[in-house]
Amino acid sequence: MSGLLLAVWLLPFAGALAIWALGPQLRRGAGWIGSATVLLAFVLTLVQWGAATASGGAHRALVTWIPGFTLGLLLDPLSLLWSLIITGVGGLILVYSIGYMWSDRAIARFFAYMNFFVFAMLTLVLSDNLVGLLVGWGLVGLASYFLIGFWFDRPSAVEAARKAFVINVVGDVGIMFAVFALYKATGSITFAGIFSQRDALSGGLLFMICGALFVGCAAKSAQVPLQTWLPDAMEGPTPVSALIHAATMVTAGVYLIARFAPLWNASPPARELVGVVGAVTALLGAILGIAQWDIKRILAYSTMSQIGYMIMGVGIGAYQAGVLHFFTHAFFKAGLFLTAGLLIHELHDEQDVRKMGGLSRRMPFAFYAMLAGTLAIIGFPGFSGYFSKDAVVYAMLEHGQPALYAVGALTAAITAYYMFRMLFLTFFGPYRGELEDAELGILPDRRAHRDEHMPPVHPAELTRPAVPVHGHAPAWLMNLPVAILALFAVIAGYVAIGGATSPWWRFFGGLFGAAPAVAASTVAFSESLSTLLVSALVAIGIIVAFVRYGSPAAQLASVERIRAESLGRPAIFAHAFYFDDAIDALVVRPARSVGTFIARFVDPHVLDGGVRDVAWGAGALGVIFRALQTGLVRSYALTILVGTACFIAYFALIGSAR
Amino acid sequence: MIFALIIAPIVAGVLLVLVPRSAEAFAKWFGVALATIVFIIVALEPHASDESLRWLSRPFVANFHVGLGGIGYWIVLLLALSTACALAVTRVPRQRDFVAQMLVLLGAMTGLFVARDLLLFALFWDLMLIPVFLTLIAWSPTRSTATAWRYLVYNLVGGLALLLATAAYGVVQGTTDVLAANPSMLAPISPAWAFWIFLGFAFAFLIKTPVWPLHTWMPLTYADLPAPMVAVVSAVQSKAGLYGFIVVTSVLLPGPMHGAAPAMFVLGLIALVYGALAALVQDDAKRVVAYSSLSHLGLIVLAIFSFNPIALGGAVVYIVAHGLFSAGLFIVLGEVERREDTRLLSRLGGLGARNPKLAGGLTILALATLGLPGLCGFAGEILILTGVYRAGFVWPAVVALIPIIIAAAYMLRVLQGLMNGPEVADVPQRRDMTPLEMLALAPLVIAIVLLGVNPGPVAASSRALTSAATALANVQTQSQSGIAYCKQALLDQRRNAMERAQRYLASLPRDVNGRPIVPTAQPATIGSVQEPSCLRYPDVMAAAVKATAK
Amino acid sequence: MSVDVTNYIALSAVMFFIGVAGVIVRRNPLIVLMAIELMFNAANLALVAFARVWVNNAGHIFVFLVVTVAAAEAAIGLAIVVAVFRRAENVDVDEVAGLHG
Repeated sequence: MSGLLLAVWLLPFAGALAIWALGPQLRRGAGWIGSATVLLAFVLTLVQWGAATASGGAHRALVTWIPGFTLGLLLDPLSLLWSLIITGVGGLILVYSIGYMWSDRAIARFFAYMNFFVFAMLTLVLSDNLVGLLVGWGLVGLASYFLIGFWFDRPSAVEAARKAFVINVVGDVGIMFAVFALYKATGSITFAGIFSQRDALSGGLLFMICGALFVGCAAKSAQVPLQTWLPDAMEGPTPVSALIHAATMVTAGVYLIARFAPLWNASPPARELVGVVGAVTALLGAILGIAQWDIKRILAYSTMSQIGYMIMGVGIGAYQAGVLHFFTHAFFKAGLFLTAGLLIHELHDEQDVRKMGGLSRRMPFAFYAMLAGTLAIIGFPGFSGYFSKDAVVYAMLEHGQPALYAVGALTAAITAYYMFRMLFLTFFGPYRGELEDAELGILPDRRAHRDEHMPPVHPAELTRPAVPVHGHAPAWLMNLPVAILALFAVIAGYVAIGGATSPWWRFFGGLFGAAPAVAASTVAFSESLSTLLVSALVAIGIIVAFVRYGSPAAQLASVERIRAESLGRPAIFAHAFYFDDAIDALVVRPARSVGTFIARFVDPHVLDGGVRDVAWGAGALGVIFRALQTGLVRSYALTILVGTACFIAYFALIGSAR
Repeated sequence: MIFALIIAPIVAGVLLVLVPRSAEAFAKWFGVALATIVFIIVALEPHASDESLRWLSRPFVANFHVGLGGIGYWIVLLLALSTACALAVTRVPRQRDFVAQMLVLLGAMTGLFVARDLLLFALFWDLMLIPVFLTLIAWSPTRSTATAWRYLVYNLVGGLALLLATAAYGVVQGTTDVLAANPSMLAPISPAWAFWIFLGFAFAFLIKTPVWPLHTWMPLTYADLPAPMVAVVSAVQSKAGLYGFIVVTSVLLPGPMHGAAPAMFVLGLIALVYGALAALVQDDAKRVVAYSSLSHLGLIVLAIFSFNPIALGGAVVYIVAHGLFSAGLFIVLGEVERREDTRLLSRLGGLGARNPKLAGGLTILALATLGLPGLCGFAGEILILTGVYRAGFVWPAVVALIPIIIAAAYMLRVLQGLMNGPEVADVPQRRDMTPLEMLALAPLVIAIVLLGVNPGPVAASSRALTSAATALANVQTQSQSGIAYCKQALLDQRRNAMERAQRYLASLPRDVNGRPIVPTAQPATIGSVQEPSCLRYPDVMAAAVKATAK
Repeated sequence: MSVDVTNYIALSAVMFFIGVAGVIVRRNPLIVLMAIELMFNAANLALVAFARVWVNNAGHIFVFLVVTVAAAEAAIGLAIVVAVFRRAENVDVDEVAGLHG
């Protein structure tokens, strides 16, 4: 059985190696190998369902670094869930990518990276210990770096990749701290070992460890203030955004907190901190989502906002609800991104919603898929997001955080607004693709690089028969995955019908332990009332969006409205609340200035100068002593005489006295 | 066999002058073959027994004692591997002579890391400077000898301190053949002597590593040396000091070693942060790597002076890891420089599109350098920091995390600056790495991955040492400290001398006053059967004379 | 008949200081060399005298050594003087100061 576990883990890696080794010869075949290995891993994971949900899960030891540092694999309900999403949704996205990357010259490189990512993500979730998790944590960051910078001749992509990587290293470092703090306190790095010794942790130390782990979560899951890399990460190809920056990698923070539920249960201040950060992120992401024009950036901010919900949920102690939101989000957000990819593909790399419009007639399938995803993400009753988001928001009340509840409910309204804004702008009204940029108020700055986009070329790729650049993939290749994801975006939430007695709750059993909740009697109002309230807020959001963008009158005046909004966008939105500028001014610039000071002044002048001063001192002494070297033999003789006389005098007078 | 590992490369290097100057390819492949053979022999003989020849018996015992085990085993493997890889990509003017220098360097450094005698250690310490110095003179890109002299003077000053410390240790201990000895069998050294001896060793080791603020020879040397040699020097020669701290001072002089720990911690931390910040703004890619070495080696200093077994295991892992990735980085940067005739980040860019293999190689090496989890740099870092933290140094461990973030920034700056972005027009674009060059880099990359996946065996090589050092420290603390022990020994010696003096005086003829007639012409008694060793203590003698007279 | 050793020592000292004075005061290299020879012989006299007092042959052996070295030294010294004389007509030890710092 444990061999099967090993196979699940290594299959995508084998796929990546095969693609990398055979690379350019494979061309589109790389996509088939990549998808096949990942989907096979999905099947093998499903086969192990029974073993994983049995008590203790499936386990396999790998290596021992030093006594206490033992690395192994573990498949329990939590990692089973994540593995299924990674391989299942990942496999669908890979199939879609074959169509999306159909005419890209570097298609083999793309699939090598994607398979490597799946392997890295599996390493993360299948590890039975914190170091293995950290290895996966770093490797997914690396895969993300490669894929953000996939078009590595674009300076903006290169910069975005570097930013994502460096911020992720901040997170890695946080987890490293947790590793050695936990190892010192518990003598183990395996989850089982840590949790069995968790009584050794308490108070300040526990909070410090949870805080360090949360630094990792914040960096990986784009939580305030480490969120700035996520919108820039949209420089990567769209399937990458769907897989890495929506469905799986960015939710690793949720996984980590759920995994360390026993520690979180024991630390109320950590729960409070994480809940607040999650709520702030949810709200901030939603607000920024309002003001974006790039379809992928809208979705990126919505991802950030939704992950804020998940973090809020698991952070506060409502693990089942938070993880449920991850589960439904994986489907609807991947579906949304892939649908956006359909649009971008159709419109020849156009990502600006201002240049879209009226696409519902041209692309009805995309419209319905997008509609399903949108209704799911805003929590429209009956769709999957409805179940998960309501559960998360209501959990705030159950855990005694009415303020967070209010933020969650408000964010739900804003989410409804900006998602419907996107939907109306893309699929309704006139098609604006033929209009001049100036008419729509599009400023030229940020678009400059995109027009000259050319995929990079290997010499080897030049010499072999060119891939027909304008050929089209069969339509089903891209539509089928979108359809499946849209279907699950509708139905995925049904597993949680029935609250604590639903299959979802029973699936996890006692894995998370019990987070302290307030007594039911002190909760302000019931769950059904809360549902009604949130739904009403969502309805308000939809109505506002309809009035501003969707009504027949608004559709007629859309060009003027868009121009006015583009030109009148407040600077605070354009700078995304100045987080980038603040990090630049507080961290990056000071570090560079100190470095320059060291390299230009301290090293050559102070330190090396000190050494040169010693050399100069030796020279100066030489100048003094050379004066004694007169060249006069008779003066030397006199010196010898005087010296001898001194010796004799010493031994005659003082030496004898002893 | 171990002697052959030292002598064969040196002799081969010297004999290379016999082949014609034009036989460049022969010289190169001969060097590669020799280094590979050394690697294979060492790899196959992890349990080779020690070999020893008599050397000196006065003023202290010294032997040509060599052994292949523990930490040295891995470093010699690293040395042979990096030399073979570096030689395989060598393409320099006057190649035959350059290969000769590399071979001498190989032999000298092998000698250093297998030496089990302090004096032999000191001998190879200075010997390994010579090929680097000559190379700096003869292959300097700037035709200036300033860097060469700076290198030599810095390191010779350190070497002199090392020699003095070795001599002092030999005189005090009576032998320098101590690196393989059981430390608990060695006589404790009085704290005053131990302090000065440690100072000498530490000075040499700090310069060689180098540790801030004695590092200013290093960026210049690394920038001026040809790529194959700088690969070996940064991979292995810079480890000599750290190796010395681990196997020499921490075993032989645990007292002052512990005393110096706070200062060394400060120096290590400064080096860590200082090197990282300086690396962030360099324009010369080789200098970025040079300053990053300063930073990384500072981490190892922290590990050594935390006296924690986990950290020490991590230090050994990181020593090998740093050797692997810095050798690889310098080789790749050499390749870039040979293709583009420059290594300034401001002038390079976009090489990845036409040189995907080169880009791939640099990517893995850069990732290992910046401590990507899963590669060897991370394994070393996490073990070191876990140990340092476990030893109770919480804040140093936290501060040491910051350079890891900076490392990501500067290594990506190098990687992306060279490989990504639009192609820069004004540098020549030549062909990608040949299969041969890839073959030269492959062993390093494979080793990086293997060590990153399982650093266990390398980490374990320090375990014997830790227990030995702990044993000695225990002996010293438990026997009411070394100084009391020494005082007691001196007193015993004086008491013996007194007794012998009285016996001696009793055997002498008496004068009219009944006092013994002590011959004033002492040379007459030298060599006599009844050598009066008591004469070495004049005050004892006087006391004995007085006592006899009564 | 024996002469007290102090007489030898006194003579030796007088000879030695005459030699010292010669080296310091005179500027002709030939005279300087002769003064050095005088100092050697003063030392030889003292060695022989002490050897006799202590009944130890070491002093005699040293004297032979000194005489030999003195001969060699005189030969080399004269050769140098001749060489210098060839270069500079005027021979004065103060003029030959090419090694001053």
